[in-house]
Amino acid sequence: MQDWLVYLAYFVAAIGSTAVYAALPREGAAPRKSFMIPMLGLAIGGVVVLLNKFAGPAAQSWYSIILVVLALGGAVRVVTHPKPVYSALYFVMVVLSTAALMVVCGAEFLGAALVIVYAGAILVTYVFVIMLAQQSHRGPEAQVAATSDFDRHAREPFAAVAAGFVLVATVAGVIVGQGSTPSTPMPNSPDGNTMEIGRVLLTDFAVSVELAGVLLMVAMIGAIALARRRFPKHEEGPAYQPGEIGRHVKPF
Amino acid sequence: MIVGAMLFGLGVVGFLTRRNLIIMFLCTEVMFQGVLVNFVAMGQRWGNLQGQAFGLFVLVIAAVEAGLGLAIVVMLYRRRGTLDAEHWRTMRG
Repeated sequence: MQDWLVYLAYFVAAIGSTAVYAALPREGAAPRKSFMIPMLGLAIGGVVVLLNKFAGPAAQSWYSIILVVLALGGAVRVVTHPKPVYSALYFVMVVLSTAALMVVCGAEFLGAALVIVYAGAILVTYVFVIMLAQQSHRGPEAQVAATSDFDRHAREPFAAVAAGFVLVATVAGVIVGQGSTPSTPMPNSPDGNTMEIGRVLLTDFAVSVELAGVLLMVAMIGAIALARRRFPKHEEGPAYQPGEIGRHVKPF
Repeated sequence: MIVGAMLFGLGVVGFLTRRNLIIMFLCTEVMFQGVLVNFVAMGQRWGNLQGQAFGLFVLVIAAVEAGLGLAIVVMLYRRRGTLDAEHWRTMRG
């Protein structure tokens, strides 16, 4: 019923995927910025137009448009930046802008949890592992290691971008094509969003909450088991026998 | 919802293209972001809180995935000394 909107969605997806294809790191010359930046701008502008035509009033305010632009641009840079640390930092930008987007949409608790869990915990873990993995290349080739070979060349960029285009186009087409039914208003409780979520979690989803806790604990045990199994065999430097420390090897 | 779909698609593209294992995991996190945005948007559209509650569970799963995935990455890195996914081609059947 809204055919031209669906075609607009396809068109936006196509433009965005060409822009991402141009932005991906590849062999040879630097990425073609003169081509890529206007394409990206066009794609993000198309997304904004789609939002304006389609989405509810919460998505039409200026805040959310700015946040959407920030999130999508940050996500493009996460995918295309050759250095892992920068890519992690751009991911912080994506997380912050999506959290703010959720606050705009009225999900305050989820936004706060997103900032704490993602931007706090998960990102620290990522940056820690990135540092750990790049630390051993220290030396004259530090610059080379910073953008090592496999970071500079994308793998099968065309096929991947085509797959992404098909996915995004179908999903966006379905979402747009079903039309914008007027959203039922959220029941506005005097207690606020956080209290409502707590009520839902502890009444309807109580078992799931317990399962999530168990899952977290199992994952913690599994991570410890995975990370320490290979450790004594492959460590560089003098390998100490277990009883040796404290006899002639100083513990500190 | 469109934004969520776009984020998810970008994550898929990144996962398929990048060869650095850590960046591949970051791209899965981008996909999680897209799904989260979609959950919140749909919950708002149908006017209930289950979208947000499921968003919290997605957060839990993301934390679990990050922990386990990074542990695996660290283990693989200790074995081969590189983060290149192409070095693990021999695991092909």
